Amino acid sequence: MPILETRGLTKRFGGLVAVNSVDISVEQGEIFAMIGPNGAGKTTLFNLVAGLYKPTSGQILFNGRSIYPVRDFWRTYSPPFAAYYMVLDSIRRGLGLGPMPLGLKPHAVTALGVARTFQNIRLFSYMTALENVMVGEHPRMHAKVWDSLLRTPFARREEHKVRERARELLRFVGLERQADQYARNLPYGFQRRLEIARALGTAPKLLMLDEPAAGFNPQEKNELMQLIQDIRSQGITVFLIEHDMKVVMEVSERIVVLDYGEKIAEGPPQKVRTDPRVIEAYLGKSA
Amino acid sequence: MSQRTGTPPAVGNRKPSRLGRLGRAQNIPYLLLGIALLLFPILDSNRSQIDVAAFAGVWVLLALGLNIVVGYAGLLDLGYAAFFAIGSYAFAILASGQFNIHISFWILLFASAFIAAMFGVLLGAPTLRLRGDYLAIVTLGFGEIVPRVFRNLTPITGGVNGIVGVDQPKLPAVFGWSGNFGFNPIPYYYLILGVIVLCLFLINNLRNSRLGRAWMAIREDEVAAAATGINTVTTKLLAFALGASFSGFAGTYYASKLFIVSPESFSFQAVSVVVLVMVVLGGMGSMRGVIVGALLIYFIQSYVLIQLPGWIVSATTALNIDFLTKLDIGSYVQRSNFLIFGIILAGIMLLRPQGLLPSAQRKVELEGGTSDEAVADLGSA
Repeated sequence: MPILETRGLTKRFGGLVAVNSVDISVEQGEIFAMIGPNGAGKTTLFNLVAGLYKPTSGQILFNGRSIYPVRDFWRTYSPPFAAYYMVLDSIRRGLGLGPMPLGLKPHAVTALGVARTFQNIRLFSYMTALENVMVGEHPRMHAKVWDSLLRTPFARREEHKVRERARELLRFVGLERQADQYARNLPYGFQRRLEIARALGTAPKLLMLDEPAAGFNPQEKNELMQLIQDIRSQGITVFLIEHDMKVVMEVSERIVVLDYGEKIAEGPPQKVRTDPRVIEAYLGKSA
Repeated sequence: MSQRTGTPPAVGNRKPSRLGRLGRAQNIPYLLLGIALLLFPILDSNRSQIDVAAFAGVWVLLALGLNIVVGYAGLLDLGYAAFFAIGSYAFAILASGQFNIHISFWILLFASAFIAAMFGVLLGAPTLRLRGDYLAIVTLGFGEIVPRVFRNLTPITGGVNGIVGVDQPKLPAVFGWSGNFGFNPIPYYYLILGVIVLCLFLINNLRNSRLGRAWMAIREDEVAAAATGINTVTTKLLAFALGASFSGFAGTYYASKLFIVSPESFSFQAVSVVVLVMVVLGGMGSMRGVIVGALLIYFIQSYVLIQLPGWIVSATTALNIDFLTKLDIGSYVQRSNFLIFGIILAGIMLLRPQGLLPSAQRKVELEGGTSDEAVADLGSA
C-alpha cells in the first residue's frame, strides 16, 4: 500500500489550474522526487497534502486513510461536529453534490505523520535552534495546560526527554554545536538543516522537502544527499521537490514530472531523463 | 538574569538543588529585593504609601497577564480592560449586598479568574482569523463593549453607580490581629504580594513549557507553527484565556480593595492603554521588564502627575516670573497624562524599541546582532 496517494487531485485559483487531476503514489520507504519547471504546481501539491490548501476536487490518501475528503468523521472530529458533518455529507451525496469538502487542518496532518520543510525557509527566527526542534516535538508531547502551569513532575520529565531528543536530532543533522544560537543567526545552509531537524522532531512517517538543495554548493549538496539517505534508512519515506538534476538523479528512486499542473511523466530517473515530453517541458519543443 | 541560561551548557552537568540555586550570586539582588518588599510595611509607617503600593500590585498583575497575550503569543490585544472588568464585577456581584450573596473572597479569587478566562475564550474566538491591526481593532471594540454593558445592565450591575459595599477578605484571627482586612492597607499589601509571587511562578512555568513554546512559535510564524503540529486555534485561545485569568485575579483584588466597582474604572483610557504602555515600556515578553514598566507608569500616574502642578507652582513663584504663574501651567500638566503616555510610547519606540528590560529574544530581534551564546560559541571554536 502506498504511504501517500493522490487521485485526480485538482486545485484551481480562480481561472488558473495550479494542479490538474494529478495521480501520484509514494511507496513506503522510498525516496520520491517531484520535478518540473517553475510554476508547474509542485509546491501547491505539497500545500494540498499538508492541509494548507483545500483541493478543488480529488482525493488524498495517507497510509490508506482519506485525509481529503475526510470520511471517518468520528475519528477526526469531536462528536457534535462529527454528527453535524455526517448529516451534511449524506445530504450532499444524496443530492449528487459529492462528499463534504472537509480536510484535515495542517496540525492534524502533521500529527498523522506528515512533516514538511518550506521552499523559503520558515524557522522560528528568535528561538534557539534547540527550541525550534523542541517546537517540532510538540505534537508528540502530552503535557496539558495544568502540567505547563504547575510544572508537574510529568511535565518536567517530558521536558527533559524532549530536550534530549532535540539534541539528538541536532546531532543527526550536524548542528549540535549551534543548539543555543538563534535560528536567524545561523548561516543559510544550517538553517535548511535545522528546518529538516524540526520536521524530524514531529516523528514523521513521510517527510516532504521543498527544494532542500536550493542555494547549496556542491559540497553541501553531497552532504544533503547523505542526510536524505540517512533519513530514509531510519524508515522515513522522503518526498522531495528539487530543481537540481544532479541531486534528483542521484538520490531518488522514482520521479514524477509536473508541467502546467499536469503529470507528464513518472518512473525511475533513467526513464524520466530520456522521456521526450520531459525534455520538451524543460528545453522547449525542437523546431 | 536571562531566562535563557536555564539550558545547561553541557549534558550531564547536574543542576544544584533548588535551594542551592537560590543562593547563587546572580540571585542575590532578587533575594534582597524580596526581603525589602516583605519588610516594607514594617519599615514604612506611612499608611498612604503602603496603600499606593497595594494598588500598584494590581497593575503589575494586569501587565503580567497582558504580557502573555501580547509578549508571548504576539496577539495585540487592546481590550484587556474587558477581562479586568469581568473579574471585578464577577467578584462584586457574588460577594456584596447587591443580591445578598456573600461567597468567600478566597474562593472567588480563583472563581473569577476562571470566569475571566471563559470570557477570554469567548471574546478570543471571533478574532482567531485576524492578525495585527485587525485583531487590535476588534479587541479594542470588545474592550469598549464590556464596560458599556456593565453600565447599562443596571438591575445586575448597578448601572452608573456600580456596586458599593463589596465584601472584603477575611482570615482567621492570628497574633492579636482580627483577620478582617477592612481598610487597613497592610494585609492587602501582603495579599497582592502573595498573588504576584504565585503568578510569577505560574507564568515562569508557562514560559518554559510546551504551551509557552507553542505561543512563541505562533508569534514567530503561524504557518510554520501549524506545520509543526501546533493547533493554532486552541493555542491562541489558551493565550487569551490564561492572559485573562490573571486580570481576573487583579479584578477581584481591586474590587475588594476599592470597596466599590463602577464602570468608569475600566475604560479604554483608564486600563487598556495604560497596561499596554506598561508592557511596551518594560519590554514585551520579559517578566522583569513588564513589572518595572508597570511600577514606573503607576508611579508617574499616581505620584508625579499629582505632585507636578504643585512643583510647577512653587517653581514659578520661586522664580517670581509673574506671567508664568498667571498661565497656571500646573493645571494643564495635571490633565496631560495621555500626552505624557504618548511621549513615553513614541520615545520608547524611537530610542529603545526593545523596552527597558527586554527579553532575550526581543533584544536580538531589535539589535539585530549576534547573541551572547553565538559569541561564546565562536570563542570556543
